[in-house]
Parts: sequence; C-alpha cells; structure tokens
Amino acid sequence: MEWFIANWTFVAGLAATHLSVSVGPIVVGAFLAVVSARITPPRWVNPTRGVLGAIYAIPSLALFVTLPVLIGTDFTGPTNVVIALTIYVIASMYFSAHDSFTQVPRPTVTNAESMGMNSWQVFVHVELPMAVPGLIAGLRVAAASTISIASIGAVVGVRNLGYLFIDGFQRKIPEEIITGILAICVIALTLDVGLWLVGRLMTRWRFVRVDHA
Amino acid sequence: MLDFGGLGAWLSNPENWAGRYGLWNLVAEHLCLTFLAIVIAAIVAVPIGVAIGHFGRGEFLVVGLGSFSRAIPTMGLLFALVLVMGIQFRELSVVLALSAIAFPPLLAGAYSGVTTIPAWIRDSATAQGMTTGQLVRHVELPLASASIIGGFRIAYIQVVSTVVLAPLVGLGGVGFGIIQGLALRNFPQVTASSLVIIVITVTGDRVIGLFQRLAGARLSPPTPLEKS
Repeated sequence: MEWFIANWTFVAGLAATHLSVSVGPIVVGAFLAVVSARITPPRWVNPTRGVLGAIYAIPSLALFVTLPVLIGTDFTGPTNVVIALTIYVIASMYFSAHDSFTQVPRPTVTNAESMGMNSWQVFVHVELPMAVPGLIAGLRVAAASTISIASIGAVVGVRNLGYLFIDGFQRKIPEEIITGILAICVIALTLDVGLWLVGRLMTRWRFVRVDHA
Repeated sequence: MLDFGGLGAWLSNPENWAGRYGLWNLVAEHLCLTFLAIVIAAIVAVPIGVAIGHFGRGEFLVVGLGSFSRAIPTMGLLFALVLVMGIQFRELSVVLALSAIAFPPLLAGAYSGVTTIPAWIRDSATAQGMTTGQLVRHVELPLASASIIGGFRIAYIQVVSTVVLAPLVGLGGVGFGIIQGLALRNFPQVTASSLVIIVITVTGDRVIGLFQRLAGARLSPPTPLEKS
C-alpha cells in the first residue's frame, strides 16, 4: 500500500496505457464477433468454431511475436498486442454470440416477419435485443480475460500494468507486483460490473413485473 | 515479412536442438512443468469439485472462483509467488503458481459434470440400493467424465500458456527462445520457438478434446464442447 501511495502517478500512467491497448480490441473484437457469428452460413459454423478454438489456445506471447512475421509489423510495440487481443476477443466471443442468436425463439422471428418486417428490421428490432443477455455474458468473459492478457504485452515492450510485474520482479519489490495484480483486478471487475449494468439497462423489459389476472 | 530462409536455417541447425537450451530439452521441461502443475492441482480440485456437485453445497465457491480467476493476470501470480517464496525454491514456487492457475477450471469442470446429472438418474441408482460411494464411483464419475476432461483441457491451455513466461523468472521452457531471441534480436529463433509453442498447445488441446468427445460419446448423446 505504501508503495502504491508513493508511486500512484506512475501506476495511473501505466493503467492509462493498459486501457488504451485493451478497450479498442474489446470493442472492435466484439463487433466483428457478433457480425461474423450472425452471417456465418450454418454449414460453416463447426469448421469456424474449430479454427477459432485452435487460435484461442495459442499462448498470447507466442501470438504477439508470430504476428510480425505474418504481417510485417515491428517485433516490439503495441500494434501486435492490439491485433492479437482483437483476435482473442473474436475467438472467445464467437461461440457465445452464435449460441445467443440460435437461441432466439423461432416463433418470435416468424411473428415479426408476418407483421411485415423485412430481414434487417427483424435483425435490429427482434434478434439483436433478444440476443443481448447472451452477448453481454460472452462480452464480460472476453473483456475480463483481455484486460488480464494485455499485461503480457509488457514483455514485448508495451509499458502497461504488466510492466509492474517485470520491474517489481527485477527490483525484488513484491508490493509492486501485488499493486499490478490488484490494479488489473479492479479494472477488470469494474468493466465486468459496468457491462452487467449496460446489459440490464438494454433489456429493461426482462425486469418488468407483470401481474397476470 | 515471413523469412522462410532464416527460419529454415535456424530449425535445421542441429545445434539449436541439442544441449541445455536446445529445443528438445526446452520442450521436455515445458511439458514436465505443465503436467506436474496440472496433476497437483487435479489431486486437490477434482475431489472437491465432485464433492460440491454431489452434496450441492458451496456452489458459490466454484462460481466466485471461476469469475474472479479470469480477472487475475496469470503472469502477475507467477511473478509474485516466485518472488515471495524465494528464488532458491524457484521450481517449487513456479509449479505451485501454475497449480493455482489450473485449479479453478478443474474445479469448475468436476463440479458442473456432477451437478448437471439429472436427479432421476441419481434417484434410480439410490433406489437400486447403491451406497454413496457406489453412486459416486459407478454413476456420477462416469457421467461427469467428459466435463472433468473439459476442465483438464482449459487448465492445460492456461498452464501451457503461462509456462511460456517461465524464462522471465529464471526457468526454462520453450518461451526461453522467445525471450532470448527478442533480447538478442535473433528473430528466426523467436519465430521458431513460437511455432513450436503453438504446435504443443494446439496439439495438446486437440488430443484432450478427442478424449473428451470419446468420454462423452460413450455415455450420453453428444454435447457441444465446453469452452472457457
């Protein structure tokens, strides 16, 4: 605690970098996962799951240093980390996003269609709202693990909260490492609660009590 | 861009495969650390998970640990434990940190495997006169096996990924090639090492997945593979 009070501006700077490399991938990755989960033709779903499952299993440090070879970026620096985190978010959210869309009840969609909605209207006004609880659940998992994985970016020269682990280990200051762990936990849990709240506010109808006669 | 020449030259040089920091030795070390950590964690986690599922008490422990563990950076946990336990017990503290990482998914897999068994199956086993021990051994464990193996699968991915960081705390493992290669700007070494890591992880994941499917297919209609 003393270490944190003495160095809080330093930690705040690292936390800002940490957020800047992880929020983008969470937003972009979630968008891409939802879009791809919705437009994958049924017979492509299982192969896609297989490939994404394999990608998700790749250790983050290995992915950080493989990307430069594939796309010609620098070995160190934030670009690879941002791209790799986006890939992880897509890979982890695709599964739950696809399930959320397939679990929308068929009769609901048929009702909407018979009321004259075109397929875009059905998607925006029926399928998307009905899928929100599942999508938010998947996003919460993806967001928490992204915040935690982002710290490994410190190994390839991104000065985020993971830097506290490397620096604290080399200088033998356990408080510094523990500060890093707690800071990451606080950010991840705040994001988690925030997303839960967003999900609740987006689906207010689920919490309206209806007293049937 | 992809430097096949440099990569091929590095991989075909026998010097890079032999010796203390040769690939063979590093791969063996990587897998040893992984298996040791998972076995230690499983000895503790699987019985507890099965017990929680069987008695239906302490679910909050599984759920809470599951969501909390996602937020904890494995890298920080590894570094903190090695530093606090002391550098002289490096191997022990690394294995303990890795076991701590493997614990939540193993617990969740064992718990959910037992708790999702329909009540009528348990009731009919009891009605046939099975004792608690028989119920657990002959009914719950076989039916939960696919989910338990699923827990091993997630634990394997997480632990094998974290061992990549072990060189940063002075141990070996294939991550050594990445850390050393980055420091010396020997990029063929970095690429070759990360390719080996990817092969180890993805192959392990597929093999455990195969066992999971076999265990599931033997006893129940196929269910979608569980993913963390």
